[in-house]
Amino acid sequence: MKNLLIISTILILAGTIFGQQLNGTEIIEMTYSRPTSNTMEANLSMILENSRGDQRVREIKQFTKEFGDVEKKLMVFLKPNDVKNTTFMSWSFEDGSEDQWIYLPALKKVKRISSDSNSDYFMGSDFTYEDLGDRHPSEDRHKLTGEVSIDGHDCYIVESIPNDEEYMYSKTITWVIKDKWIGYKKEFYDEDEELLKELSLVNFDEHGDVIVLTEVKMNNVQNDHSTIMRLSDVEVNKAIADNKFTERMMKRGIR
Amino acid sequence: MKTIRDSILNHPYITMGLILLLTVFFFMQIKNKGRMETDLDKYMPQNHPAFVYSDQAEEMFDIKDGIIIAIEHPESIYNGETLQKIKDITKSLQKMDEINKKDVTSLYTADNIVGTEDGMDVKAFYKRVPKADKLESMKEGVSNNEMVSGRLVSDDETVAVIIARIDDDVFTQDFYKAIIELGESFEGPEKVYIAGSPIVEGTMALLGPADMKRMVPVVILIILIVLLGVLWSIKSTIFTFLVVAISSVWTFGLMAWLGIPVYAVSTMIPVMLIAIGVADGIHFYSHLGIFLKKNPGADKLTAVKDMIQGMWKPVAMTSVTTAVGFVSLLTSQVYPIKYFGVFTAFGVLVAMFLTLVLIPAGIMAFNLPKQRISKDKSNHQPAGIAHTFSIALLSQRKLTWVLTLVLVLISIWGINKVWINSSFLDKFESDSDIVRTDAFINEKFGGTSTINVILETESKDTFKQPDILKLVDAMQDDVEAYNMVGSSFALTDYLKRMNKVMNADDEVFNTIPDTEELNAQYLLLYEMSGDPENLWKVTDYDYRRLNVTFQVKSDNSKVINEVLERIEGYRQALSDEGIELNYAGSGYKALIFTDLILEGQIKSLVLSLLIIVALLGFMFKSIKVGLVGSFPIVITALIGFGVLGIFNIPLSTTTALLSSITIGIGIDYAVHFLDRYRLNRNSGLKLELALAETMDHSGRAIVFNAVVVIAGFLVLLASVFPPNRALGALVSLNMFISFVGTLTVMVLLIVKSDLFSQK
Repeated sequence: MKNLLIISTILILAGTIFGQQLNGTEIIEMTYSRPTSNTMEANLSMILENSRGDQRVREIKQFTKEFGDVEKKLMVFLKPNDVKNTTFMSWSFEDGSEDQWIYLPALKKVKRISSDSNSDYFMGSDFTYEDLGDRHPSEDRHKLTGEVSIDGHDCYIVESIPNDEEYMYSKTITWVIKDKWIGYKKEFYDEDEELLKELSLVNFDEHGDVIVLTEVKMNNVQNDHSTIMRLSDVEVNKAIADNKFTERMMKRGIR
Repeated sequence: MKTIRDSILNHPYITMGLILLLTVFFFMQIKNKGRMETDLDKYMPQNHPAFVYSDQAEEMFDIKDGIIIAIEHPESIYNGETLQKIKDITKSLQKMDEINKKDVTSLYTADNIVGTEDGMDVKAFYKRVPKADKLESMKEGVSNNEMVSGRLVSDDETVAVIIARIDDDVFTQDFYKAIIELGESFEGPEKVYIAGSPIVEGTMALLGPADMKRMVPVVILIILIVLLGVLWSIKSTIFTFLVVAISSVWTFGLMAWLGIPVYAVSTMIPVMLIAIGVADGIHFYSHLGIFLKKNPGADKLTAVKDMIQGMWKPVAMTSVTTAVGFVSLLTSQVYPIKYFGVFTAFGVLVAMFLTLVLIPAGIMAFNLPKQRISKDKSNHQPAGIAHTFSIALLSQRKLTWVLTLVLVLISIWGINKVWINSSFLDKFESDSDIVRTDAFINEKFGGTSTINVILETESKDTFKQPDILKLVDAMQDDVEAYNMVGSSFALTDYLKRMNKVMNADDEVFNTIPDTEELNAQYLLLYEMSGDPENLWKVTDYDYRRLNVTFQVKSDNSKVINEVLERIEGYRQALSDEGIELNYAGSGYKALIFTDLILEGQIKSLVLSLLIIVALLGFMFKSIKVGLVGSFPIVITALIGFGVLGIFNIPLSTTTALLSSITIGIGIDYAVHFLDRYRLNRNSGLKLELALAETMDHSGRAIVFNAVVVIAGFLVLLASVFPPNRALGALVSLNMFISFVGTLTVMVLLIVKSDLFSQK
């Protein structure tokens, strides 16, 4: 599947070189298949803000590694102090299913947790589990609706409508930066086709051909709640042992 | 003055035409700009600290009143059809414009936090209706979850509720109808009940005025008939009634013109205008009748001039005094009551103006009213009765005083039993649908009324500390021990549930965890797997504030106060930890609001009494007269409140306002009597004779007035809406005591203090 995509990407690229116009599906496929790192280690700051301006900050040490058909992630809480060393691990499988564990140091136990759907919000943020993952291009119908230059970035505007009518969003609109194939801005529309959330890219780093989005902000316009995810000390393709992603390692915490 | 009077009398049609024009103008104002204010929040003083605090807390924790739809299946709700209906009702409510999707809670939307062998799971109880073989395990899941069982499904499994929380300002008649229709469409074999405070308030807002609309024509008809019986002339009856009707139109017209909405208490304005307007008319025509009896051949101009001459002063005095008394309501903190005071004062002055202008103009235009055909005997009979009564009264002074004293003492005893009730539900018949539904849901679930306790402190993460949380938990248990409190809900319930679930569903762990860290980690876990929005309904980001909700089985003020008292028991212990305790929510606001109204009412009662004593003293140039004249009012007020206590009628906004009306009417009687009596004494009559003449003249008019208004308001006893019945009974009672008090006790006081004696 992935190979096929790469081939088609090459074909599309060839097409653009000859001045052919890309269509919406092709643009989304380009963003989906952009090179990613095999492993990543970083410090994640999650800043949550509600409509009254109250803020909560969480500091997390995060490790991720690709294992072919499964992506494994380990998140160790550093702050606030009362949740220090609480560790969250997730294994995301290609088919969209996910296994999750949590280690609570005060309880000294690792517990499996499961949640009904990917439409649940991630750790009280404005991101759903699904917003954080990559959605396969074939799940939506895409349409290029225009091109625009914002903040010095030349962008395609692509409207995506899900094939599944029961999907949590009725529509998304993505502003894709040309030649980088990353989303600069994205709007999410709820079931009633009203604007629900706005995702914006604040910062990104280029590590060779891998682009890491180091700061993104999700703003829920309906309840005026927002989340900033900021990565620092990003290390890409650094060797991480396979056994990092086990229950035993979860209990170890950060020393 | 004379020239104005003469030009009115010379141009009666122009006068009436001008009044008609003005009336049309005010009527158009009502038609174009008049509006009812039904949002109860608008009644409350927006900057009173208790309301400011409550509003902030309501916003912070998303506290709203809920409409409760209960669905009852004769055996058990765990069957495909009923579960489907729960889902359908939930979805239909979520689709309504007035309701936010996330504000609907039912078994269908509820999160089920369950323990599994190796961890924890948060999931829905069902998405698609479960097959028959899965029903048993679902039932078990519900009964094992104390966050759901007894809250969304009754313990006996026969009833489930769907709760839709709504904002204060969305309730309309159409919305109410839509909800009722929605409920009805899901009937059979299940029964569907609809309750909750928005429904109670909504029903009241519909039923009260609807009942009034039905009763008012009857009241008017009865008043017209009795008025006709008293005045013995269709013309006089019509003009007296026009005074009342036109002054009402002008008053409400002025309100509409100034953009002030009609509040529920404003409906009391016409009540006052009926009493006052009818009195003015009766006194005028009564004077005219007596003049014509003495001067049978007099022409209409002479008669009318004598009528104005003799009556303008007492009518003006009573009206001004009454108006000033009502203006004293400006001291109230509650805007609708301020408006009630000011506009009733305006209406009373309009009634005075119309009596002075319209009635004379009417006589000039349509000739003198036909006088009762006098047979020789009956001609002198009223005077005879008045005379006999005066003699009897004077000879039974002791008895009168003793009776009065006994009544006053009983009343003071009764006043001690008077209690305030801000309940909405208690305004309905005890066997009405709405009361029965409420009782049914209260029997099966935690309670239809809520009290929110807001705990607040300076230091962050306070409400993660085990000691503090255990204190809150103890408070919840203690308050729940009161049998009128069905359940409570707070952050503690989440933590206890999580602790139990994370320890293999062991009931031993249904407690607050022992370390701050474990609490914090459970809460983080909840945020990861549940809906974190739920947490922000019970605490805030910094864990500095807590919202503890108590479900109470009654909105009766006695019950609410009992609950508050139990909560207050924890104020000191919380304060020792640096935690402040406050309240929020509509039930609490209603309680405070009623207190405010009463406080203002009692203040203005005392103030207006002082003003009246001063005004009477000024008008009659004797402070003694002021004291004597206000005596019947004091007695009426005492007995009025005493009756409330003795018959266990709680004070509410309406019953409290009646005291203002008592004053208005009482002063009317007193002034007419005093003025006439002074006139008679000044003309040289001896005490007994002056008294008898005054009884015949003013006394008769007072009795007539009392009879007309009492008859009219007694009709309200047939009303289906208890507050309207209470209104009818109490207005009648107050009128009765007022007139009896004036004609007996006040008369004796006049004699005793030897007022207006010619030396």
